[in-house]
Amino acid sequence: MIISKYAKIGLAVAGVSAFALSTASAQDRPYDGMTLNMASMNDPFAFVLQDMLPRFQEETGIEVRLNILSYPELLSRVTADFVGGTQGFDIVTTDNVWTGQFADAGHTVVLNDWIERDAEEIQVDDIYPVLMTSLGNFEGQQVAFPFAGYANVLVYREDLYAEAGLEPPQTMEQLVEAAYALTRPEVNQYGWVANGQRGPAVAQDWMQYNAQMGGSILGDDGMPALNSPENVESLRVYKALFDDTTPPGAVEYDWGGREESFRQGLTANQQTWSVASATYDNPDMSRVVGQVGIILAPTGEGLEPRYGVGGWGLGINADVDDRRQEAAWEFVKWVTSPEIQLDMAAMGGGGYIRISTVTAAELQDELDFLPVVHQSFTNGDGEFRPRIPQYPEIQDILGDAVNSVLVGDRDPQEALDDAQARVMDRF
Amino acid sequence: MTAAVDASTANARHGGMSFVERRRLFLAMLGAPALLYVCAVALWPIAQGLWISLHDYSLLRPDRREFVGLGNYVSLLSDDYARRAILNTLVFTVSAVSIEFVLGFGLALLLWRDSLFNRVATALMLVPIALTPLAVGLVFRALLAADFGLVGYYARIWGISGPRGFFGDPGSAMGAIIFIDVWQWTPLVALILLAGLRALPTDVLEAAQADGATAMQRFRIIVVPMMLPSILLALVLRTMEAFKLFDSVFATTRGGPGDGATNVLGFYAVKEGLEFFNVGFASAISNLMLVLVGVLAMTFILVIRRADKRANG
Repeated sequence: MIISKYAKIGLAVAGVSAFALSTASAQDRPYDGMTLNMASMNDPFAFVLQDMLPRFQEETGIEVRLNILSYPELLSRVTADFVGGTQGFDIVTTDNVWTGQFADAGHTVVLNDWIERDAEEIQVDDIYPVLMTSLGNFEGQQVAFPFAGYANVLVYREDLYAEAGLEPPQTMEQLVEAAYALTRPEVNQYGWVANGQRGPAVAQDWMQYNAQMGGSILGDDGMPALNSPENVESLRVYKALFDDTTPPGAVEYDWGGREESFRQGLTANQQTWSVASATYDNPDMSRVVGQVGIILAPTGEGLEPRYGVGGWGLGINADVDDRRQEAAWEFVKWVTSPEIQLDMAAMGGGGYIRISTVTAAELQDELDFLPVVHQSFTNGDGEFRPRIPQYPEIQDILGDAVNSVLVGDRDPQEALDDAQARVMDRF
Repeated sequence: MTAAVDASTANARHGGMSFVERRRLFLAMLGAPALLYVCAVALWPIAQGLWISLHDYSLLRPDRREFVGLGNYVSLLSDDYARRAILNTLVFTVSAVSIEFVLGFGLALLLWRDSLFNRVATALMLVPIALTPLAVGLVFRALLAADFGLVGYYARIWGISGPRGFFGDPGSAMGAIIFIDVWQWTPLVALILLAGLRALPTDVLEAAQADGATAMQRFRIIVVPMMLPSILLALVLRTMEAFKLFDSVFATTRGGPGDGATNVLGFYAVKEGLEFFNVGFASAISNLMLVLVGVLAMTFILVIRRADKRANG
């Protein structure tokens, strides 16, 4: 009888404990069993993230299904999903130049209230301010949370510079001079390379160059000013540089072609996103292992330095229900936390948003370009590509114009006048 | 008398309907599913496309949709850039289909005789047709690249291509795109024509040969006229497909280089519709393509029908 009494008490205690534990567990894992769908750009971070997702599931019970897509496919599918309200994706990687479009259309959840609510957990102060703004904020609305920031840097061949007795360039003028000095077509060596392919590829590289030369796509009134005298002059110099110092096929290059020409030892200088930096010393991909220097992007003499920054934020689909949105926010907080960002950087993710990641002592040996990234982010400019709703069309029209100048179809003034007229039709 | 009885039987009423009426109803019911299907998947989307093309309509700003009448068509036909796309599409279609037809007919004639070699060659000809056009475009882009391409590099060094390569020179880019299309689709034309050749009555050809007709005479007077249905099929199929060109342009030049040297209507429509989401304008481009391809196809049909009538009575 006594045993029976103790057994009853024991059972009751066990029952209460089990209930308490399950309640605690439910509170800790409120989204246990939920599946979220994420659309991601096929940059290096996507493949690192793929490996880390089981860890998130273990911690929260939420499964994240990752769809890794190419840039045009990502934009088309995500926009079609948003426009159609089909709720195919809960979370999407968002290029910083899409933020204006997404904010204008209300495609993604405005995160301002959640960021304020969870400020302590997020540690916003640890995120570079320029990335907080440019990777998801449009006119005060945070429509995406920064996830993978890239710095536009100058990558150059240390061996060729040393051979020619040149110092790494600090200004655009020095870069142009070095590009001419290092161009030797007779040995298949070219001083400089940039994207030449019609469309976004050539437009983006020229916009970066143009910003460093003091040009701007928008005027002071916020309206397009493609054919401003500064832009026309910058394009004129760019055309001459392109003709004289890039490999013959550069007019066909997109980002992949440009990087390949550098890794194969064909070219001496390029400006590129820091995300590619780890590939130059990979002997499986590169013929210039140990010969590459990475420095700050130069600026025109007498101009304020403008270090281009770009990259990806994470947006949450505004069409999915509140519970899925909250679960998606849990994922965003997790994947952008200092701990996970550090792990992703160590695994080769290539994108950085946190000061603690970029300055982490344990990464400096392996990723020796991080001080350049830190300096670029600290003084970064995320607006050299205008993040307005009409950006995709402006970029495309500008890409046509710059390419037509590079292949000799048009004069810079004529091409930019025409582009300006076509862009204004869209406003 | 019998006919009168039959007629009265046919008109006999059963449940308020004559036999003829019931037969008509039965046939209509048989055809109804197919008719509904065509309405749902063809006529309704075409009507929707027409209606949308009369609007300034962006999917990114659907609340700002506005009726503009023929405004999109006026913009399309008055814009230099669009006019060049129309011209490029016509140049591409006429050039590619003509070359494919001539080469395809030649191949079909070479493979006409039944032998082991010809059977193997015919099977191998299927390979390009089976490949995805986008993959074909990417492979040719790699092959013809001026700096690294297996073909493009030597073509540049030996002066066969311009200094910027086949795709980098506005003068040669369209030629390169036509070449890719010819490489992939000539075998299809050859197969269609080969099927036509194999169906020709051999006794007619043998009789002509016995009568002393030369090979050229047999080809001109017997083969070509009797092949007209196959020729029509090959030309119409290829013209419609060539008019919709997108993949190889997307994979290689993206409509460039320069001032839209390879920008064709199919690529332009996809860019406007699926990159910029200007579905009103994109619908106008698609409708224009539909009209142009319809006119071309009808022209082929009329010309070949007239030739067929003249040849076969």
